[in-house]
Amino acid sequence: MVSPEMQKLAEERAARMQAARELKEPDRVPFTGLGGDVIAAYAGITAYEYQFDFEKSRAAVLKWLKDFPSDSAMIGAGGLDCLPLAVAFSDFPDLAGGFMVVNGPMNDILKMKFARFPGRELDENSSPQFIGRSNMDPSEYDELIANPQKFAYEKILPRLSDNFKDLNSPLALATMARAGLERVRQGAEMAKTMAAIAELGYPFGPAGGLSYAPLDFIGDHLRDIPNTVLDLRRYPDKVKAATESILEVLFKLATANPNVASVGFPLHLNEYLSPELYKEFYWPTLKEFVLRLAEKGIKSSMFCEGWHDPHLETLLELPAGWGTAMFEKTDVRKAKKVLQGHTVVQGGIDVGVVISGTPAQIDEYIKQLLDDMMPGGGFILGANVGNLPRNTPIENIAAVYEAVEKYGKY
Amino acid sequence: MREQLLKSFVDMDEQEAVRIARELVDTDGGAVAVLDTCKEAMEEVGRLFEAGEYFLSELIAAGDMFNQIMEFTLPKLQGDEVTSIGTMVLGTVQGDVHNIGKDIFKVMAEASGINVIDIGIDVPHEKFVEAIKEHKPELVGMCCLITLGVDSMKRTIEVIREAGLRDDIKIIIGGGRVSQAVMEHVGADAWADDAARGVRLSKELLGKE
Repeated sequence: MVSPEMQKLAEERAARMQAARELKEPDRVPFTGLGGDVIAAYAGITAYEYQFDFEKSRAAVLKWLKDFPSDSAMIGAGGLDCLPLAVAFSDFPDLAGGFMVVNGPMNDILKMKFARFPGRELDENSSPQFIGRSNMDPSEYDELIANPQKFAYEKILPRLSDNFKDLNSPLALATMARAGLERVRQGAEMAKTMAAIAELGYPFGPAGGLSYAPLDFIGDHLRDIPNTVLDLRRYPDKVKAATESILEVLFKLATANPNVASVGFPLHLNEYLSPELYKEFYWPTLKEFVLRLAEKGIKSSMFCEGWHDPHLETLLELPAGWGTAMFEKTDVRKAKKVLQGHTVVQGGIDVGVVISGTPAQIDEYIKQLLDDMMPGGGFILGANVGNLPRNTPIENIAAVYEAVEKYGKY
Repeated sequence: MREQLLKSFVDMDEQEAVRIARELVDTDGGAVAVLDTCKEAMEEVGRLFEAGEYFLSELIAAGDMFNQIMEFTLPKLQGDEVTSIGTMVLGTVQGDVHNIGKDIFKVMAEASGINVIDIGIDVPHEKFVEAIKEHKPELVGMCCLITLGVDSMKRTIEVIREAGLRDDIKIIIGGGRVSQAVMEHVGADAWADDAARGVRLSKELLGKE
């Protein structure tokens, strides 16, 4: 049961986030907290246990959220994007949404070749990693364009996992059946974790979804990043047509759950492309995607990975209040100057500083950051990358939270 | 023809660059001319990248062109026509299995005349030590993409120091999460978060510019 006191705390936290998302000034700067591999280390468990043992990962998350309170909660170790599987089953939205991300136990069943998990392919204290590989020949673009769902099922799935090599085999059917059972088991575990987190006064907002910019779907899952970049010059028309086809199926998936209120997009190829290539191949279908979601009242958030400076201004083509942009290497001060009153800016804390600074340096760093970023609102404080490594000094993490407490009041 | 090769290469006209290189390579002294021109073109692409005019996609396209052209050019060169300005042992550190950044850097470093010994991804600390003993490089390049790589670089450099090899080499770290602060934290000599800067600094560490 959530105590009245914790209920009130959850409402305050939710209101704080909501005010920033409406581009206003809340009572305090909303802070998403820090996290990642260090959560497991702090609880004295391995990255493997954090990924595979729900009992232990739940205890680790609860300990972290209790000792380092912030305005939103993470619910566990997370997994790796697995969109082709969701696309393959996109005609069955009740199932497909559950297969967008694959975590360690799920991959024990699916055996996706792109996935590397701690205690499996990697050392027991490594981070889960996605390894891009080319799963498609450029001669297959026409097939992809004609029907991305059929192509993902018939051509890509068999190449992603040997369990699906023969789609008519008992092994393939058994794999999907087992994945369904595992999904139910994990759903129950997740509900248990969320109930325990709610008791600590953390809010859970309406459902959020995950999707991709259509060109990133090609880059991450079909052709790999270097080949995709070469394809832009070698087969420009085909790549463009493919992004348009992929947009349709990804939009269908993103809106399959009628309760979804926000969709997150991790941007990957943005850092690779010149403004010209970005505007020609990447942005048109991503923009269209966000506009169509906005029409349905769904907000978007983009995690602009890497260096996004050359493409910042394109965000202004979206209607004000479309959503949130998170930044990794782009200076949030610069982003806020361009996007003030239009786009919520999230991020700001360079994890490099948290890993290698001293508590005194960190205090000063957070003070300056908040001095620059809080005025005018529309800012959510968070790390520039979601993962702090295991050996991050705990006194540095504490210094961040103390500084936010000290300087974060409006 | 060298001018045309240089121009089409730098302008990212892949078909034209490869066509001219094929023609040029069979002329008298052509293989050396192709090699030198492509090196010059790669340097110019790196310069344009650092000037903010070119992006990673151009580095990848240039690297791919360079590799395509070298495939038919290198077999036509005599051993003494390929000179090196120094040797580098290069790998992605233990725990990190990413290779894109390392591969972009590798081809640019090779084009600048560095003899690169690529020891792969997820490289155990001891393997760096073994490779340093075997190849006696002037430089060691360590890459990482994920934040976990920072710890791993620090430990790798400690292991190299314990083996008594640290003073024999210069270490440059590269990848999306490295910075001046990370360099000082792990005890490296230089850092780069892009391949062009990495190559420029590697040459500086070799005393070549």
